[in-house]
Amino acid sequence: MSAALIAPAPAVYARESWAEIVKSARMPQFIIPTIALPPAFYALFALAMGQGSAEVATRTLATFGVFAVMGPALFGFGANIAAERESGQLELKRLSPMPAGAQIAAKVAATTVFSMVAFVLLYALGLAGGVVLPAGRWAALIAVHTLAIIPFALIGLGIGYRLGQKGAVAVANIVFLAMAVLGGLWMPIAVLPQAMQALAWTLPSYHLGEIALMAVGKSDAANLWLHAGPLALITLAAALFAWTGERQQAG
Amino acid sequence: MPLNACPPVAMLGHVTKAYKGRRVLDGFDFALEAGQVTALLGPNGAGKSTVAGLLTGRIAADAGTVQLFGLDPRAPLARARLGIMLQAGGLPETLTVAEAVALHAGYFARSLPTSDVLEQAGLTDLAHRRCDRLSGGEARKVQFALAIAGSPDLLVLDEPTTGFDPEARRAMWQVVRAKAEAGAAVLLATHHMDEAEALADRIVVIADGRILADGPPAAIKAQVAASVLKLRTRLAAQRFAALPGVVKVETVGADLAILTTAPRAALEAAFALDPAIEAFEVTSASLEDALANLVTANRTMKEAA
Repeated sequence: MSAALIAPAPAVYARESWAEIVKSARMPQFIIPTIALPPAFYALFALAMGQGSAEVATRTLATFGVFAVMGPALFGFGANIAAERESGQLELKRLSPMPAGAQIAAKVAATTVFSMVAFVLLYALGLAGGVVLPAGRWAALIAVHTLAIIPFALIGLGIGYRLGQKGAVAVANIVFLAMAVLGGLWMPIAVLPQAMQALAWTLPSYHLGEIALMAVGKSDAANLWLHAGPLALITLAAALFAWTGERQQAG
Repeated sequence: MPLNACPPVAMLGHVTKAYKGRRVLDGFDFALEAGQVTALLGPNGAGKSTVAGLLTGRIAADAGTVQLFGLDPRAPLARARLGIMLQAGGLPETLTVAEAVALHAGYFARSLPTSDVLEQAGLTDLAHRRCDRLSGGEARKVQFALAIAGSPDLLVLDEPTTGFDPEARRAMWQVVRAKAEAGAAVLLATHHMDEAEALADRIVVIADGRILADGPPAAIKAQVAASVLKLRTRLAAQRFAALPGVVKVETVGADLAILTTAPRAALEAAFALDPAIEAFEVTSASLEDALANLVTANRTMKEAA
């Protein structure tokens, strides 16, 4: 009986993911800032202002990859979930036999796809700008940039479950900029005042940026746990933030 | 086949539900049968949406039993047989109508082909229109399409025809009737009495969390047996409020329309009050008037108690 009534889950996950990608791809207001902005900034900050230095191009590529992930994750999860919740779409899905995880999985899939488009553009610019890395370091960099999706997606979820669409966009923007600037993704935090440098330790963007620098050999990998430890704690807190938000709106 | 061999599609057994200390339902019993359109009528805040919300698993009961196809309404197997049209139902803005329907239909194993769903909902011509470029009525049709896409055994419709022109309304009614004749149970929450009268096999009137009447539309009208007394008089409307059986007095153009359960006595009393009445007319009340009558009578009884 159950087999006759409920659609096979893998097919639902696949269709939901595809729909999520198509939905976002048709929104220029989402695509342009999230995909085009990081490569444009990279070209400006690292390549044009770095005056052809491979050192600058490599360091900036590591931290800008983290920056490129934040857009799709924060806006895709935060603002889009808020809009879908507000309009009642989320409720209709919840009342359907759709497996509960399909929607989140679909958003993760879409965020990964858009983040990867942004990486590929960045990496291509990096190569053109003189970045030379052995294959192992490229693999490590891609892994760090891909894993970076998780904490930002969780923060986005927590925002999207708590706020309306307009509020979620505003908050996501603030978080986006704060993470980039205070997390040292645009320029090293050493240029910031002392108090602000201390703040960086609470931001996932800072730790991810440092780990990405280790991946490209621009920071000492012996310090990995110094950043991976706090990052794990922050991710756990973000998961709690997302989960309590989900409970709050479902109840 | 004995009657009890056929369990109800959905049921509430002695359900209690309170919001912020205010009891909306108190020991409420209700059941839905297959193959019937049941209209839930009542004033705002009567508990209509609570009943629909409980049956569809949107709301949890404080006490009592809630079953959908013999299961917890939140069970995936129960949801797989349920189609819902919510009052506020957004659509994926950038997907086309056909894409949105196909996506939703894909959650159900018994889904109808997208082209059939679009045709039944009157959306064939709009299949490739993006959902953010639809009018309010067109968007409602898409929500109806989503509700029927999984060929549900229970179809819950909350104010389905808001924003429809008369033709589109009748077309949707026809599809809903066909679903019931094919064996589905339909729960219709509506403010439009003509919709309930045209569509429902059974009307359940609720007010203040209690069932005031339950039966076929004709029986509901007969049960209250209210009449409308139309008078042309120079006296003020409020002077007629104390007439026998009066539920309400309204001014309609140059006339007074008096809803009463005792038309004969009221007419005699009206002539005693104003022997110069120029014209009068007695008609049986519409379902809308009957409903108002029921609700008012219930309130009066409660206040007297």
